[in-house]
Amino acid sequence: MEVKTLQNYINGEWVDSKSSDLEEVRNPARDELLCHVPLSTREEVDLAVKSAKDAFHDWRNTPPVTRARYLHRLIELMEENFDELSIIQSTEHGKTIDESRGETRRGIEMVEVATGIPSLMQGFNLEDIASGIDEYGIYQPLGVFCTLAPFNFPFMVPLWFFPFAIAAGNTFIVKSSPRTPMSQVKLFELLDDIALPPGVVNLVNGATDAANQLMEHPDIEGVTFVGSTPVGRIVYRKCGETGKRVIAQCGAKNFIVIMPDANLDSSMVSLMSSFFGNAGQRCLSGTNALVVGDDVFYKEFVDKFVDAASKIRVGDGLDESVQMGPLQNLASKERVAGVIEQGVKEGAKLLLDGRKLNLVGDVPEGCFLNPTVFGNVTPDMSLAREEIFGPVASILRASDLDEALKIMDANPYGNAGSIFTTSGKSARQFQHEADVGNVGVNIGIVAPMAFFPFSGRKDSFFGVTHGQGRDVIRFFTEIKVVIQRWF
Amino acid sequence: MKLVTMAAVMSFVTKIEGDSEKFYQELAGKYPETEETFLSFAKQNKRNEKFIKQTYFGVITDTIEACYSFEGLDTGDYEFDADSDLGSTLTDIAKKALEIEDKIQAFYIRAAELSNSMMADVPRVLRKTAQKREDRKLKLKSILDKA
Repeated sequence: MEVKTLQNYINGEWVDSKSSDLEEVRNPARDELLCHVPLSTREEVDLAVKSAKDAFHDWRNTPPVTRARYLHRLIELMEENFDELSIIQSTEHGKTIDESRGETRRGIEMVEVATGIPSLMQGFNLEDIASGIDEYGIYQPLGVFCTLAPFNFPFMVPLWFFPFAIAAGNTFIVKSSPRTPMSQVKLFELLDDIALPPGVVNLVNGATDAANQLMEHPDIEGVTFVGSTPVGRIVYRKCGETGKRVIAQCGAKNFIVIMPDANLDSSMVSLMSSFFGNAGQRCLSGTNALVVGDDVFYKEFVDKFVDAASKIRVGDGLDESVQMGPLQNLASKERVAGVIEQGVKEGAKLLLDGRKLNLVGDVPEGCFLNPTVFGNVTPDMSLAREEIFGPVASILRASDLDEALKIMDANPYGNAGSIFTTSGKSARQFQHEADVGNVGVNIGIVAPMAFFPFSGRKDSFFGVTHGQGRDVIRFFTEIKVVIQRWF
Repeated sequence: MKLVTMAAVMSFVTKIEGDSEKFYQELAGKYPETEETFLSFAKQNKRNEKFIKQTYFGVITDTIEACYSFEGLDTGDYEFDADSDLGSTLTDIAKKALEIEDKIQAFYIRAAELSNSMMADVPRVLRKTAQKREDRKLKLKSILDKA
């Protein structure tokens, strides 16, 4: 059977890339070739930017309420294609079908919030700053923006940005992840159906070269990026050098503090989802369980956690009985297996070894790992310090909440942190003192809704305003202050 | 079959509501004196499925524990024979319908208990659907009394 090569979407048309540089997109659960993705040429990237730049003038002069109507039509199409969109994500990424449905839903929520642009981008004013003189601020779009999308939420993450950007009157280029580009292609088919003016949204397939070109391009006003911290630093630096706005949402090492008064039985489902959902490949995953309390409580927690993790059914995410899918590719699996080996060498206690595979159904072992749990992990071990991005949980101990917060604070990342407790006092102290952008109280995955910013601190975020909510509207607009007098 | 994910629970909801709908539609054709009641049941079956799925898919971003919540839910405990056995009397049919409703109600009650750690919308819609079965059972008992 002929394997399809994905096309770019530039200036309102699907176009073949002239690139001979193709990469394979594979289903990690089945080790099947799904399609080829071209690494677009410099000319194609330039064409996308030109097309977006050319479209900007007319688009910014389109009334916000009209711009929002396009998005209303997109929501309808996304709902109609909900299942197909979700299945594509599971196929290209490996995540379970429920995880993909959650990703689709969250993507739709972004578009829903962006339709509120007539209210969201309103300015403010003051009459009579001096007698007969008024002053007001208006928010205006800036031009062409782009996003460099990650592999782990290939459908949703571009939607954190572009619906808001175009609703505000900007034009946009999505550079999808070459590892998981298919769900963006499907989304752009829907965008094509709503018949936005040519050039308002553009899709360019590619990898590092295309990303560099976009970051260096003089006609790009700003870049949004979601990915690892080392790459995020490069994006932040490059965009600074070329005077661009940037949102760089980066890596994480999220602590989950378990207080001795926590209701373990109620919490375990949430903890499993936090540590092993999306096979640990998300920046909001719990990775360090920081247990506060005595030996008896520690043992109780460890026994329950390991028992629950050992029961997780691993296999093809499209099988509805499966609770955790594979890593997205073989290299990721090998890297995570190396982390496990390193953890053993550093003296952590391997309580559950995910390298010993126990898979549901007839699937190749290729990209799979089962959940891994380490006990007796200390804050100085690489297991506790470095982002793993795989289904590996480390269990650490602290004598009290103050010590737990100190351990968290010493970690360079600050994306998210959660506390599991029945004490309002502990929860309040944690919320107040934890140096992280997103805080959970008895919540395993602290994923802010579309109408709140997706925060982040320390090495987990570079920039000023964040994705989603009012923050991202400010990112995609600039205020203009007008002082006015009439004679 | 063990149901361990919300995706599997949703598929089972489709099955039991669909089987039950077919069962009542067939009965409606067979027993004109209770046609209206049975057709209303069939219509409600369709609505139940739609309502449950609409609720779940509306909040799924906040129920990502969906993959981990349903240990201990076994379809074997709730499956039923939906053959309407058109040769039976109305009394037999009503008894059979009551058995089916008991099983479906028990399923929703258990699924609601197990999904308590999710967003409240999910267990609430499951409990509501179980409650609707209570009304239906009263109507079936009334048919039984009259038969």
